[in-house]
Amino acid sequence: MSSPRILVVGGGPAGLSAACDLAEAGANVVLVEEEGFLGGTPKKLHYSLIAPDLKPVQEVLDPLVRRVEQSGVEVMLNSEVASFKGSGDGFHVEVRRKGGPLESHVFDSVIAATGFAHWDPHKKYEYGYGVYPDVLDFKDFERMLSEDNLRRPSNGETPKRIAWLLCVGSRDKQVGKFYCCRMGCVVSIKQAMEVRQKHPEIDTYVYYMDIRTYGFWEDKVYWRSMEEFNVKFVRGRIGSINRGEDGRLVAMAEDTILQRPTEVPFDMLVLATGMEASRGTVEFAKLAGLELEEHGFIKPLQSDSLPVHTTVEGIFVAGTATGPKAIPDSVSEGSAAAMKALNFARRKAVAERQQTR
Amino acid sequence: MPIHEKNLVDKNRLLVKEEAKLDGLDVSGQWSTFIEQRILGDYSTDVLDAVASTPAGKTIVNCWQCGTCTAGCCMHTDFGLREFNPRYFIYLAQKGAEDELKKYAPVIWRCVTCNKCVERCPKGVRVEEVVHSIEGYMRSKGWMGDTPASRWDEAFVKNTLQTGVLDELALTRSYVSREKLAEFNNRFMLRMALKLVRTGRIRTGPLRHRVKGWEKVRGVAKEILEGGGDG
Repeated sequence: MSSPRILVVGGGPAGLSAACDLAEAGANVVLVEEEGFLGGTPKKLHYSLIAPDLKPVQEVLDPLVRRVEQSGVEVMLNSEVASFKGSGDGFHVEVRRKGGPLESHVFDSVIAATGFAHWDPHKKYEYGYGVYPDVLDFKDFERMLSEDNLRRPSNGETPKRIAWLLCVGSRDKQVGKFYCCRMGCVVSIKQAMEVRQKHPEIDTYVYYMDIRTYGFWEDKVYWRSMEEFNVKFVRGRIGSINRGEDGRLVAMAEDTILQRPTEVPFDMLVLATGMEASRGTVEFAKLAGLELEEHGFIKPLQSDSLPVHTTVEGIFVAGTATGPKAIPDSVSEGSAAAMKALNFARRKAVAERQQTR
Repeated sequence: MPIHEKNLVDKNRLLVKEEAKLDGLDVSGQWSTFIEQRILGDYSTDVLDAVASTPAGKTIVNCWQCGTCTAGCCMHTDFGLREFNPRYFIYLAQKGAEDELKKYAPVIWRCVTCNKCVERCPKGVRVEEVVHSIEGYMRSKGWMGDTPASRWDEAFVKNTLQTGVLDELALTRSYVSREKLAEFNNRFMLRMALKLVRTGRIRTGPLRHRVKGWEKVRGVAKEILEGGGDG
């Protein structure tokens, strides 16, 4: 019996975890990644530290990348799935390397780990993203932190006071995003902690509706940020951002505890942009005939008991392709999907052998 | 400008000027009334930094405004003094809303130190101590003078420093006569005090308990107290 042939689409935390687990279990794995490197969105957007242990992103992802490279996974960078057809003897897939010819493969099972994209805050015009240079979103600010270059884009000065606004592009009927992004709270608070750690003179305020640092993020991130780093919290959602006379940003919000309108000046504002299905996720779902669920992510066969099965037999899904998730959850799901994909391929092999006997 | 339905405006925010001039034009009379805006123009860390730097106030940064303290506060609930809200005092201090905090000078000292708030706080805020620290800040700013509670504290410390052991009778007598507390100044209380002294439950005056070597300890205690620290 030859080893099962399995395709993993996407080289982020979930895809890496799935690929190396499969290869170590003896499968022939092809990992298709559209970028020229492995590590997915956290690598691509230059994330800084990862909660809850505040480890640099390289420390979290590089061991996974090394395992993939050492376990004999066939990694195809700068590549995309061009066509996809399921039939009795497996999935017929054509992969195109950037500028190269189509390569045809046949796989016994497939894992979609096609990930998410940060929501585009231009659509929330009242926050002035793209108008005021000092209004940043998650990806801008993570990059700034990882490059240790904390300056106001407008004038290059170090900010004295920074605000975070949670739930931008999440929990908002106005923009059609009804769900919670699950990591906006923890990432914002982590960023504020990072700022306070490096620059204790900078004052940090987080505008929130609820703080959803579930599980161990509560004490390791949220409580720590208040108790050790004196990060301040304001319960209220900023309604709009104006420009002050001195070029600073003015956050127009209700402080719901004081029950008063506030117009507080800030040097920088970070928008906690939510998660939505990536272009790759939507396109792969279309190619492979996977159903999407109401929020636009890939629909799991059963969201409670079969979270890594898709609506198509033999295709599995892991990570943020099915909804917002943190890196550790994506890594676990990658392993879970690997198990399911391997089992599916082996059962198929056994069935084929019995037919030919 | 003339303001109709002034009854709808918070009285503290109505400014009526005897004489008012706008751009050199005399607008006294019914044009002399203004409404102070409710918008809070800034947050400040002044109060928070001052309170958090005192030993009593350092847990103020832990507070996340759940309201457990106020829910059990005997001043707020049982006594019914709704203006006494420890959670709110803490928030005003955290955000540096001094104009609002000032309004609570007449009530913030009313804590009876039952410490239910400290017992119950899920975040480890020493609420009673923090509120006293905020009170100390307000006094240092001159927003409030001494109060019956601060006079009691003063008398208590002075009394205890004498021998290291509290002389309850002397403390109560001096405090009652100074504050003119009629409820305590009657025959029933006197008879009870006499009985307590006769049976040896309370030792007062030359009979009071003493701490061995108190002179040395007193020196240290005084130094700490005078060093301030505890807002």
